[in-house]
Amino acid sequence: MAKYLGKRIFYIILTLFIVSTITFFLMKLMPGTPLTNQAKLTPTQIHQIYKQYGLDKPVWQQYLVYLGGIIHGNFGTSFQFSNQPVSYLITSRLGPSLIIGGQGMVLGVLAGLIVGAVGAIRANTWVDTSATIISILFISIPSFVLAVLLQYYLGLKLRLFPIADWGGFMYTVLPTLALAASPLAETARFMRTEMVDVLSSDYIELAKAKGLNKVGIIYHHALRNSLIPVVTIIGPLAVNIMTGSMVVENIFSIPGIGEQFVKSILTNDYPTIMGLTIVYSAMLCVVLLITDIVYGLIDPRIRINK
Amino acid sequence: MADNAKQTSAADFTPIAGADRAKLDDEKIATPSLTFLQDSWRRLRKNKAAMIALIILIILFILAFGSGFFETHNPNATNPNLANLPPKIPGIDINGFNGTIEQSGSRINAYAQANAGNHFYILGTDYLGRDLFSRILYGTRISLEIALIASFFDLAFGVVYGITSGWIGGRVDTLMQRIIEIMLSIPNLVVMVLLILVLKPGMTAIILSIAITSWINMARLVRAQTLELKNQEFVLAARTLGESSWKIAFKHLLPNLSSVIIINLMFTIPTAIFFEAFLSYIGIGISAPQASLGTLINDGQKNFQFLPYQMWYPAIVLSVLMIAFNILGDGLRDALDPKSRE
Amino acid sequence: MKINSLAKLGGVALVTGLILAGCGSKSSQSKKQEISWMTPSPIATMDTSKMTDLYSAQVANGTNEGLLRIAKDNKVNPGVAKSYSVSKDGLTWTFNLRHSKWSNGDPVTAKDFVFSWQRTVNPKTASQYAYIFANVKNADKISSGKMAVSKLGVKAEGNYKFVVSLSKPQSYFKYMVTQPEFFPQNPKTVAKYGSSFATNATKNSYNGPFILKGWNGTNDTWTLTKNKNYWDAKSVKVKDVKFQAVKTPSTALNSYNSGKLDFTTLSGTLAANNKKNKDYTVYPQASTSYMEFNTKKIPALRNTNIRKAMALAIDKKQMVNKVMQGGDITPKGFVPADMAKRSGKDFANEAYVKAGTDYNLKEAKALFAKGMKQVGKKSLSLTLLGADDDDTKRATEFVQSQLTKLPGLKVTNQNIPFKSKLTRAQNQQFDLVLSAWIADYPDPSNFLDLMTSDNPQNDGKWSNKQYDALMKKSETTDANNESARWSDMVQAEKLLMNQQGLVPLYQQGQAALIKPSVKGVQPFPTSPQYDWAKAYVK
Repeated sequence: MAKYLGKRIFYIILTLFIVSTITFFLMKLMPGTPLTNQAKLTPTQIHQIYKQYGLDKPVWQQYLVYLGGIIHGNFGTSFQFSNQPVSYLITSRLGPSLIIGGQGMVLGVLAGLIVGAVGAIRANTWVDTSATIISILFISIPSFVLAVLLQYYLGLKLRLFPIADWGGFMYTVLPTLALAASPLAETARFMRTEMVDVLSSDYIELAKAKGLNKVGIIYHHALRNSLIPVVTIIGPLAVNIMTGSMVVENIFSIPGIGEQFVKSILTNDYPTIMGLTIVYSAMLCVVLLITDIVYGLIDPRIRINK
Repeated sequence: MADNAKQTSAADFTPIAGADRAKLDDEKIATPSLTFLQDSWRRLRKNKAAMIALIILIILFILAFGSGFFETHNPNATNPNLANLPPKIPGIDINGFNGTIEQSGSRINAYAQANAGNHFYILGTDYLGRDLFSRILYGTRISLEIALIASFFDLAFGVVYGITSGWIGGRVDTLMQRIIEIMLSIPNLVVMVLLILVLKPGMTAIILSIAITSWINMARLVRAQTLELKNQEFVLAARTLGESSWKIAFKHLLPNLSSVIIINLMFTIPTAIFFEAFLSYIGIGISAPQASLGTLINDGQKNFQFLPYQMWYPAIVLSVLMIAFNILGDGLRDALDPKSRE
Repeated sequence: MKINSLAKLGGVALVTGLILAGCGSKSSQSKKQEISWMTPSPIATMDTSKMTDLYSAQVANGTNEGLLRIAKDNKVNPGVAKSYSVSKDGLTWTFNLRHSKWSNGDPVTAKDFVFSWQRTVNPKTASQYAYIFANVKNADKISSGKMAVSKLGVKAEGNYKFVVSLSKPQSYFKYMVTQPEFFPQNPKTVAKYGSSFATNATKNSYNGPFILKGWNGTNDTWTLTKNKNYWDAKSVKVKDVKFQAVKTPSTALNSYNSGKLDFTTLSGTLAANNKKNKDYTVYPQASTSYMEFNTKKIPALRNTNIRKAMALAIDKKQMVNKVMQGGDITPKGFVPADMAKRSGKDFANEAYVKAGTDYNLKEAKALFAKGMKQVGKKSLSLTLLGADDDDTKRATEFVQSQLTKLPGLKVTNQNIPFKSKLTRAQNQQFDLVLSAWIADYPDPSNFLDLMTSDNPQNDGKWSNKQYDALMKKSETTDANNESARWSDMVQAEKLLMNQQGLVPLYQQGQAALIKPSVKGVQPFPTSPQYDWAKAYVK
């Protein structure tokens, strides 16, 4: 286990190194500087501003400084927010994103499991068909359309939830729903396929033959065994949630990092874009690591300490 | 018991007459001999949902790529005096298609208000008075073009990568797999956004960045399949007959990989359409006056409170497209899966 | 001189909210002195030396105060200065300060002004707006590092007399000192927090009507709370102005309709559909959106006929009424209407040139053909550059569709993030560009200076000797002669329009919804747009 973990952590570090390198050089290729008013500045002032952002050094030195900074959790200073460290910008906005992202993931996966399982148990009936329709529909609606509809109908027309903003559980409901759609649909599809397979397997036939009641079979055997592979799709779902959060946070005015990422793109805030890219990759790496470990723990066929 | 046996003579064995012989069918193969593709097609045809999806897709493709024929107006011709008109189909007097719209609590005839005369737009107009119907057709075309080209590159690269990795095996495989593992833990969307920023927003940038970031899935599936096929007899046979390694890979493996590739493609295309829509939302999609379904929906959602049709119609087309691709993909998966042969 | 970066920046705004206000509609609980205000963008910084955007400046105008305070109808009210006097030659301005306090209890003195002004001009501070001090004696030399900071033409005579020496007379200097760049700073606070000064609400001291609360440096909600130490605190009625930065315009409108906001800005279709709403209002802006020609890069654009043809091909009336649809109005020229007046006459009316802002497609086509013949070209293919916010995108699409009506002219659009657009425009990397300018002080020179040959913000490098001479004259020989200066500028604007050095597209107006119960918010056509010091809820 320790050896496996060590290896995985090595790969995570390697990945983050590659990501930071790629983003650093991509950013260097882009036009734009922290200057808003280049034309009106004296050379001394321009030099001073460059110096402040460490842009006066040759690129390779900037790169080394940048890498050194990352090790210490320092991503430089934002172009958009004067004198504001990017690391603070990210940490102060991480909370809301994690909350709605986490809630969306949990809700989506749980609901997806139920929809998928029900579909599989009642395979090829109208229940199954409607479960399939739900999941395909949810895959087919862009999150910004769903968010707009939720905001308009549940927020404004029915006044069930606050329209936008941040400040308590009620504020997280609509964004969570909007985010949950895609993981729900994906999980439901995956779960249904897995469970149909399991239900037609020999040991279930055996259990039936032994006269176990249906609920018992489904609960003790089918459900458990179909659950295991679902863990493997958590990683890709996390990516969906990250993508969705950029849109959803914007529409519901949530002070999170997804909204900040879009804003940074629109304002050419390169240090923030770089910092957020690394943070997104790091989060994904951690999610993948955790799912792999969990997978190893719950699936007796896999031994990760080998 | 031998003594009980009836003696048989040659006379007992009269040959069957020609007419009787024809009736005999035990020697015949009951079902017609079908190639793999024919068989799959047969099974696909049985799947009603998939067939409907296929027909819908064919119609959408014809409409989109023949948009020049079907457009009722030039999709880029602006006419600000007739901006934001709701749908109107002459002769139909149902709210939503009669050119009226809810405004401050009462229904007004938007066409009369804009002095539109005899003009009518079956799906209404946008904020510059462009015909929404023609723009949706045009936008569908651009979206499909992006998705198809991006999927093609993603396919080409993913397949080559997967075959190479699986076929060569050994160290090369390990290295290539490590690369994939690392790529998997990079959020592809973020990289896509960065690439577009560097390449300057536009169709080429969007296609490239989608292709560059989404080939991994294809490569993984193809590799797994290659590993499986590699040790099968027909490959061994080809090997013993002295075929070159690469020739085997592409001549014998590729056809056997086709089902995996086709199925994956059915899911890659809608993903690409979706990515494009997302990019439009964050403001780095196709630039005006060009349009895609993504930009149309994005423009529409801004005024959803007042002009809901501007979001609904392109969103419906996008959803139908997505649903059709997904159902067809599911259908193809069942049809092409040898296990499901009856 | 803020570039109107974010004015009405539909797509790029932010939101926030009433923390723990509970859910459901919270309609104005009667007479609670609290206003919920929507703003499109978060605070970038509260360090007045580093501010570059309109929205930070708005907040600073609430929390801090300069020598004078901008008031309605282009007037200035006393601020920290009780009174001021100007020497005969217009070069020395003397301000008599009142006894007032910082929010931390320190007295506001003339030294705080000296400190702040020197700090901004100091190249080490790297202020991007230090050039606004250009007219203060020695400012230019100091900011290019050629002179010691202490040589800046400001001095504190005792604690309550502040004297400014200008390098040339500037009749509108009184407006300039109302701007955040000229606000005082508390030297103790700046020293205490060093580089983190003003990066959140607590690392700052305030001397204005309000104190900033709840801003952690990156969030989207903050509150302006009444400042008890403010010298005129008794006339500040409102207790809290709660800000929410709302990014999506339709979200802002939904929030307003649900009662969570007392004010929201509108644009485009959202504005058009709210025109009958009784809460609808338009705040005229001293801001012009215009198109620039890159005469340096594209030789054909040096031809006056071609420029005129392109101007005449754009139907500004249709643009304002059918495309922009907000509170914008058709332009009278480059200098906005109702901004600068002299003896009751509006500058924009006096300098009005019909052809400069007219629409006549037939004449446009004729002029274009003539111009193309003169430059010996058959066709012209140009790129129209613009920022990527919703309003600018719509404007670019419209202008593009209008220009392509000229036979032989092909125009393609490019919309990029605002800052990239700015950089490219200032480096002449464009053919045609849509720009916008909002005045900081209501003087025509604020606009006209932009088009002089040597102005770095003359993106298209249009150049006219006569124009330069007129502007020079207005700043030198006629600087102290109001009427001569006025007529110089009128002639300059007329020349600019006749030569079509640029194409004014529309004069911006901010369409908004504001609850009838909210009274006394003072709008300005210039930056900082709003003042809440006299606001109250009824």
